[in-house]
Amino acid sequence: MFRMLLWKEWKENLWKLWFCGAASIVFTTMLFRMRIIPDVPNCILISFIQMFIIPIVYSLDIFSGEVSNRTIHLLFKIPVKRWMIFFSKYLVSAAGIILIFLISGILMELMTQGREARIFFLFETNLLFGFSGLTLFTWFCAFGCQNRSEAGSLVAMFAVFIGWGIVLLWSGLCEVTWAERFVPYSLLLTDITEISLAGIVFSQILASIAVLAVACFRYVSIRRYL
Amino acid sequence: MRIQGIIHQQICQLKWHILACFGLIMVLPIEEALVNLKEGDGVHSSTMVIASVMFGPLLAGLIACANVQGDLNEKLYIFWRSKPANVKLLITLKFFIGLIVSLVILVCPVAFGIISGGVSAEYLSESDIRYFLPFPVLLTIMTYSLCFGGNVLVRSTARAWLVGMLLAGFLLLLPFILPLNYKDFMNMFEMTGIYFAIIPVASVIAFVFSLFAAQHDWHLRTNLKGLLWVGAGLVFVLMTLFSRQVANIKVLQEKEIVSREWIRDSLDSVGDKVIFQEQSYIDIDNNKISFSDINGSPDDIAVPITRMEGYYSEGYRGTGRLIKVVGDNLYCFNILIYYRNELIEREEKKPIYKHIYEKVYLRCYKYTNHWRPVCELDISDCLTDNSYPQVAMRLIDNKIITLIDNSFIVVDATNPKELKLIDKKRNVLKNRWGYYHERRKEFSIPLLPVEELGMEDRIKLSIDCNYRFSYLRSKISETSIVDIYDGKIKFFLVNDNNIAGFDVIRWDNENIYCKFITARPFTILECLTDSFHSNNAFVKSGKLYCYNYNTLLVLDTRSKHKIRKLGHFVRMDYAIEDIAVLENDNILLLMHWTQNFGKSPNNQSKKRYLCLLENPG
Repeated sequence: MFRMLLWKEWKENLWKLWFCGAASIVFTTMLFRMRIIPDVPNCILISFIQMFIIPIVYSLDIFSGEVSNRTIHLLFKIPVKRWMIFFSKYLVSAAGIILIFLISGILMELMTQGREARIFFLFETNLLFGFSGLTLFTWFCAFGCQNRSEAGSLVAMFAVFIGWGIVLLWSGLCEVTWAERFVPYSLLLTDITEISLAGIVFSQILASIAVLAVACFRYVSIRRYL
Repeated sequence: MRIQGIIHQQICQLKWHILACFGLIMVLPIEEALVNLKEGDGVHSSTMVIASVMFGPLLAGLIACANVQGDLNEKLYIFWRSKPANVKLLITLKFFIGLIVSLVILVCPVAFGIISGGVSAEYLSESDIRYFLPFPVLLTIMTYSLCFGGNVLVRSTARAWLVGMLLAGFLLLLPFILPLNYKDFMNMFEMTGIYFAIIPVASVIAFVFSLFAAQHDWHLRTNLKGLLWVGAGLVFVLMTLFSRQVANIKVLQEKEIVSREWIRDSLDSVGDKVIFQEQSYIDIDNNKISFSDINGSPDDIAVPITRMEGYYSEGYRGTGRLIKVVGDNLYCFNILIYYRNELIEREEKKPIYKHIYEKVYLRCYKYTNHWRPVCELDISDCLTDNSYPQVAMRLIDNKIITLIDNSFIVVDATNPKELKLIDKKRNVLKNRWGYYHERRKEFSIPLLPVEELGMEDRIKLSIDCNYRFSYLRSKISETSIVDIYDGKIKFFLVNDNNIAGFDVIRWDNENIYCKFITARPFTILECLTDSFHSNNAFVKSGKLYCYNYNTLLVLDTRSKHKIRKLGHFVRMDYAIEDIAVLENDNILLLMHWTQNFGKSPNNQSKKRYLCLLENPG
């Protein structure tokens, strides 16, 4: 049954993969061909934009779409555990986000072979941004899994972006090192924060698991639509 | 209609949005104030006030979308449209209530900054407020209006916000992507002037549009997928337009050069070949760059050159270098200037060393696997300014014309091993660096009294000498700003603001008389990185090549009455070292890159690249 749910979500969200993938490929190719800025800043610019845009596209209707289409009634009536519904949505979105970052990372590497940056540097950088994007999306799930409209989802996603920005600023200004580990953006600032990448990744994974549990609980306990 | 009632209803409708936006915009200043308090600096905020104000336009969009969303709900819309309400007045009221609320929210962090600064005696800089506030306020008005218009049309909060923001982004980018002819016109205004024109116009249009959309019940049914594709398409079109303006010179090949030695102006054109760093030929076959050695013939004994004990030299390889091929042999001519350092005592300041230039030699070198001197001429008597000597040289029909300060010599270089002095005139050059103040008036340039040259060559050299004769960096030997075509003589001058074209209308034994034809102002994008000047501009085959630190522009100079841009190449963080235009019209560009991001620490050296570019047009 879980496989069928995954298949359903995959089919429903395939356009997002096509959209983000095509946009990513086209704009990456365009910017790396133009090469107005050097390869590394170019990679950072593209990855930075992707880190925000791709989670927004996935979050807009991943949960709220079922409510606004009123298919949630049907979905909740089929004999399947609700956590499976939640995880099918999350896993398909997560796979989509990572896949897009993988594609753009490989494309960047292929286009810049032997140019300015050392081999695989752009791929690694892009993947770190992808991981940050995925973490931001995971945090969105906790806040946005009960949303009924695209507007609500958009606000929840922005709240996550801005909220973590504020936490980063606070932890940086007040030198609260332990808090920095949990900020998704810290993955991109390992040179500045002097916290090891492995330590940040470990903290992020732990936090993500906890957040997913909360999100799953909130999704399972949806009452008002039924 | 009860206006007060509408205002009350509208405020009630927006209360949660107002609170949310207020909270979001105040978080950062409050956070900064608390951090300052914790550190014992008092409760005040300054940096984050400016950062928060930047969020204002985004939040104004949210308020705009929430403003009429409820009223445009299908059932409610039918209800209130059935009442005797003036739609335009109602929408106008709602528009302005929301706008005022947005502006009040925007001003909140500034007020907090001023008040908290006053309390803590850490005043928010008035110039900061005056500098940073007007643009976000205008931007807030624009995003608000566009989102409001978008919401009346689309009737979905999130989609209307996205539409509004996309349109706002498009309008902000508009000055950069206007077509060339319009861009030239636009450059006459200041950058901010453009935005101060665009923003109010766009806001008024969006407002008027929303009135009509509400009156006539225009409702655009959208789906998320379609909206995103349209948005991406719009961004693609913008980027295509952008790339056509700033990156329309095709890179045919790029080759990294492993070279420890760095020589200024490393490319020398000799006939149909280009020599790199005076040591190897650059071969271009099927747009592939390769290097081949110069075959030297070790058949000559080097002549003993004058040794100047206690002196330092300048010039060799640095400037005025000319390369000539005679049979299979390669000769290089150079001007070498010797100076000594003199200690200058200064009152109440540290003494400084000053260069005193005393000796000048014209030397000829032959390539015999390395450059060996084969001839030398002492031309020190031409040196009149021993602080900042100006030197230049040009090879015309086996004659080398060498200019030093106010003097010149003409040397027969038919046999480079035996340079013969043909003519020498001292203190005859005058009025150099003749900048044009009132270019629209006819003006004159002194004609060089080099009688050994034909009139066209004389005029060309005189104009180049007048505008490009400088201290040890003159590029007169390689290039010219003069274009002689179809019996007409034109020349082009480049300054920070524009490229100006001039016609030579007549000449006599003393002067060349010139008239201004046209000027092409630099656009915003062209001026972004660095300014241009005449020393880095030259004309070849009807095209003006103009470059600065990292940008190359190619312009058509033979269009009627105007200078037309053909191509633009820019690469940030790179530095253009030298440029050569090949016989097949392609361009060879030598650049270096000093950034080391993403490199291992043991690979810190500067990277140099040779780029083969397709000549546009």
